[in-house]
Amino acid sequence: MHEYSLAQGLLGSLLDYLREHPVPGKVKKVHVQKGELVVLSEWALKEAFSILSAGTELSGAELVIENIPVRVRCPSCGYEGDARYLVEEGWHMAIPILSCPQCSLPAEVISGKELAIVGLGVEETPAEAKS
Amino acid sequence: MGLAVRSRAMHDITGSFGDVLQRQLELAAQNYELLKGKGVRAINVMGAIGSGKTELIVCMAEKLRERRLRVGAIAGDVAGDDDYQRFRAAGLPALQINTGDQCHLDAHQVGHALEDFPLPEVDVLFIENIGNLVCPADFPLGTDMDLVVISVTEGEDMVRKHPKIFAQTDVVAVNKVDLAAFVGVDPERIAADYRKVNPHGKLVFTVAKNGKGVEELLSALGF
Repeated sequence: MHEYSLAQGLLGSLLDYLREHPVPGKVKKVHVQKGELVVLSEWALKEAFSILSAGTELSGAELVIENIPVRVRCPSCGYEGDARYLVEEGWHMAIPILSCPQCSLPAEVISGKELAIVGLGVEETPAEAKS
Repeated sequence: MGLAVRSRAMHDITGSFGDVLQRQLELAAQNYELLKGKGVRAINVMGAIGSGKTELIVCMAEKLRERRLRVGAIAGDVAGDDDYQRFRAAGLPALQINTGDQCHLDAHQVGHALEDFPLPEVDVLFIENIGNLVCPADFPLGTDMDLVVISVTEGEDMVRKHPKIFAQTDVVAVNKVDLAAFVGVDPERIAADYRKVNPHGKLVFTVAKNGKGVEELLSALGF
């Protein structure tokens, strides 16, 4: 249950960004990339962001979460690409495997551990409403 | 920073606004450099509540001290200092982190603990995480190795219920295997599940109370 602390991190970095780079309207959507190795409930993250952003300029903005598949690099055989996923009956979750799909030795994670804001959907403020 | 206008009313702005987990990696890297600078090898000990993390650390410390290595421990708990007291009673330099309801240690808290810890007095530092098989997986601390401890008394299905932490941890101790028959658990089934999610990882059966398997565990951790 660390969704609140990570939602606070997302919110804080975005508010910092907006202070330095004002956008021409109201932020309606916040596009987030979440790696599939991250152990995080999407529902709880959205809920936490909604609660924590209340009263800020991001109040009412929706988190739109895109899952990023795990990619690995093998220092032994040079493989670089998608990780193999384990799908077992009854586990109800595909598990990314961090052994090299080619040679089974330990692989390094290239992507799949991120939790990053990558875009904003901004609704333009009508001209007559601008001061 | 690209700016693309989708319609008259909506702007889509794309770019990099910061990765909150990347910040954790940076803090962990600072801890790693600090520990390396002091010549300290650190192990992040994660695992379930009551799996025997503290007892196993004390047992490993005894065996490492026989090899003339100096060992210390940081106890991470939501509240209380019971584990800290156990480490002190075992003669280890120790420090308590209370997270105040946070379900995992993070690199920031550990960084502050390392400022207060007598690092010149130790060669090996065990950092005992909060009893939790979910959240600690997302928070690297800057240690050399991660270890997950579970015990047979938690049931045969621990890997299946928490697969991601096992997929990301290369050394696992299954503790209390002397009790397996009493709780009707086959430790080999836990080992088989672990091999599925981490084909290159090492899993060791241990009994912290009597030291069984602990030399093998130390070997898996690179000692």
